[in-house]
Amino acid sequence: MNEVPWWSSETLWRKTAIWVTAFMAVVLIVLTFDTVRQITAGGERVPAYNVINQKIFYEVNSDRGYQVPRIGETSALFGNELNEADAEALVTLGKLTVQAKNCMNCHTLLGNGAYYAPDLTKAWLDPGWVNEDLREQLMVQFLMDPENNARTFGTGRRMPNLGITEKEAHGIVAFLKWMSSIDTNGFPRGFKPLEQEDGA
Amino acid sequence: MSTSTVNVPVASPLTAGQRIAMHYFIAAMVLFLAQILFGMISGLQYLMPDVFYNQLDFNVTRMVHINAMIVWLLFGFIGSVYWLVEDEAKTELVGAKLALINFWILTTAVAVVVVVYLFVQVGPGELKSIWLINEGREYIEAPRWADIGIVVCVLVFFYNIAATFMKGTWSGISGVLVLDLVALAGIYCAGMYFTPNISVDQHWWWWVIHLWVEATWEVLVGCIMAWGLIQTLGASRKVVTTWLYIEVALMFGSGILGLGHHYFWIGTPEYWLSIGGFFSALEPIPLVAMVVHAVYDSGRHGFKSANHPALAWLIAHAFGNFFGAGVWGFMHTLPQINLYTHGTQWTASHGHLAFFGAYATINIAMIYIALQRVRGNVWMSGGLSDNGWKWKWSLGLLNGGVVGMTVALLIAGYDQSFVERALEGSTWSGYFQAQQSAWFMQAMNWRMVFGCMTTVGILLMFWDMLTIGTSETRGKQALAPLPE
Amino acid sequence: MGDPIGLQDLFFGTMAGAGVVLSGALYALFFALTRLHGSRAMNIASLAAYLLLIISVFVMANALALSGFWILVSAVMLIGYFLLPRAIWHLCVGTHAAEAAATHSRATQ
Ligand code: HEM
Ligand code: HEM
Ligand SMILES: [Fe+2]
Repeated sequence: MNEVPWWSSETLWRKTAIWVTAFMAVVLIVLTFDTVRQITAGGERVPAYNVINQKIFYEVNSDRGYQVPRIGETSALFGNELNEADAEALVTLGKLTVQAKNCMNCHTLLGNGAYYAPDLTKAWLDPGWVNEDLREQLMVQFLMDPENNARTFGTGRRMPNLGITEKEAHGIVAFLKWMSSIDTNGFPRGFKPLEQEDGA
Repeated sequence: MSTSTVNVPVASPLTAGQRIAMHYFIAAMVLFLAQILFGMISGLQYLMPDVFYNQLDFNVTRMVHINAMIVWLLFGFIGSVYWLVEDEAKTELVGAKLALINFWILTTAVAVVVVVYLFVQVGPGELKSIWLINEGREYIEAPRWADIGIVVCVLVFFYNIAATFMKGTWSGISGVLVLDLVALAGIYCAGMYFTPNISVDQHWWWWVIHLWVEATWEVLVGCIMAWGLIQTLGASRKVVTTWLYIEVALMFGSGILGLGHHYFWIGTPEYWLSIGGFFSALEPIPLVAMVVHAVYDSGRHGFKSANHPALAWLIAHAFGNFFGAGVWGFMHTLPQINLYTHGTQWTASHGHLAFFGAYATINIAMIYIALQRVRGNVWMSGGLSDNGWKWKWSLGLLNGGVVGMTVALLIAGYDQSFVERALEGSTWSGYFQAQQSAWFMQAMNWRMVFGCMTTVGILLMFWDMLTIGTSETRGKQALAPLPE
Repeated sequence: MGDPIGLQDLFFGTMAGAGVVLSGALYALFFALTRLHGSRAMNIASLAAYLLLIISVFVMANALALSGFWILVSAVMLIGYFLLPRAIWHLCVGTHAAEAAATHSRATQ
């Protein structure tokens, strides 16, 4: 009765703790290698940055049972077709601006961030931009002067003026277009994109 | 030994480590106040979006709210470790002077960061902004210079702790503690580089956030609790140590791969749906295990404590951890549900209950343990001169306030996932429709009502902390040794 | 990952999810109290809690239209929450034997 049975001894549990932790850590590291490979830009799930030269459709994939992005024909952003390096530079400018302006403390990106303003994951495809021809210009205008271009849908919540320059606005739009091409396993659910000309 | 001799307080001067700890505790409470102040402003901006528009916008107030939280909780942990290290190592702190300098450098850095947040706010889209102003990544917004400074300060802290154990004696608890601190600091480095790739960015960002709160912080708290149990209840070291190992096995066994519940929708592969769902379904296990163990212990020797406020806050911690992490966490963790709730007020509901319930509570408990000693080992059991109304009311107001906010946010979260996700196709207009629906707006009002309650609770708690035991003439209640 | 779910399903799914953890913990609590006091009332309460757990798991699986792998996860929860309190109680008794042993040896020295 007073003997500590082997299965509850301190040594056994010390070893168990170490082995369980080590095992889980190793599994995580192995998975991390595979995951990072799969999410590096240029792969199946996360397209290369020059995807901004193309049209991005968002459609139901019947095998997977939810919507996924599909890359379409050429449709250069702001009318300039960029090589991979320039495309990456533009998206990088966009991402840097998104961080420097602290967008994520109002918005969510890929569903992470703050809940004061709409999710930006598929912002490029949002029906709010009226149609595909007006979209780019409206986005740039909005970013540079949100105070006067706000569409608050009656909530009174306007985006503040963050001093975004035209160049930065172009970068942000490129970043948002590229982000909308990421395969997010169907998030956000049941998203209704803006009218997509020429689906096939 | 009699159970409750009314004796005179036997004051003893604080040790070097304990004096350092008090510095951290005081700074932590100041930051807690800042957290609440800016939380209230953020909440108000939901109701009145024009408040401080273009001056102190929501992204700034919210950033200060959550950053102040992260920093005060870390300060509380560091303070707690300084508080217990000498007792556990059975020797004096190795570098008391160094620890003090380190504290002031860290605190000054935090102050500078906050001033820059408030007065510079945002910068141009250049790396320079990320190095000097803010990194724009939730919870780890601190600019890169501060990141590096934090790591250096943590290394100095770490040196001090490890060296003290090395000079004195090691124990099971200190072994786990030191290894856990290494992991905690190492993981922070995963959040320190820039990439244009938002998927890669969020992938590593979750390493920091998830592996902190659901793995390393839980174990750190486990170490502090283990020490606390030996100290305050006189529990057997061998038994407590064995249970710490069991807890580590359960926490890391479920929590490390539980990381997968953040990899459903950020571009990461589909296998994470299964892995994340499965392992986060296991995450309540350690919490349920604690229920059984607590019953077992209470049956053996009951819960007696010479420090009622601390014990009450420890109980609040047990419940808060169970409900905030276990119940609220599991509720939205399966991908079938998370598809609707991801990134809604639902997440905020869980975030508030879990951070407050699991981590704010235990830090407050540690501060009460420290205060008893600071006031000269005075009586803090039942029958305080003012009947202990301040600590009792502040406990009730604070916990009631946070629970109230949590429920309000849960209702808002339901409404948001229904309207925005299920009905409106997750568009911008869908988002705004949800924000304007009656239930949602009501919930936002109630969040502020309960926010006020929380604020009153905190102010009362500070008053209590400043006064408790100051005019007490009785010594700390002596507890009978544990019956066998 | 199964079919999209509807409005009430989201409500029932999340509530039942909370129910799983709550009833699992209640079961653990009453189970431990039964072991401690050997009272019949506690025993009945623990059975009731477990029944609630079964219901919660079923409601959840139904509301979320779980299938395949996710049925397996549900089964693991049912079995796991049944075995866990037993295992932990066992460990409590086992580990605390050390305490008893320590007192014993002190007494005999
Ligand atoms: C004390 C422990 C915990 C703390 C402090 C905590 C805190 C948080 C916070 C603050 C977030 C929001 C992060 C953001 O801003 O995006 C979050 C998200 C999440 N937590 Fe926890 N959590 C804890 C434990 C758990 C547990 C045990 C589970 C599961 C059983 C869980 C499941 C989740 C999930 C699924 C999300 C993602 C929500 C979303 O999709 O938006 N958490 N947690
Ligand atoms: C007076 C009380 C408080 C008020 C009014 C308040 C208000 C807020 C608001 C408005 C947000 C932003 C949510 C959004 O993005 O929409 C927030 C976020 C947050 N607050 Fe509080 N808060 C309070 C107290 C606390 C406490 C006591 C804690 C924890 C100790 C806490 C932890 C958090 C966390 C972790 C987040 C981020 C949640 C997420 O991203 O999911 N807050 N709070
Ligand atoms: Fe997590």
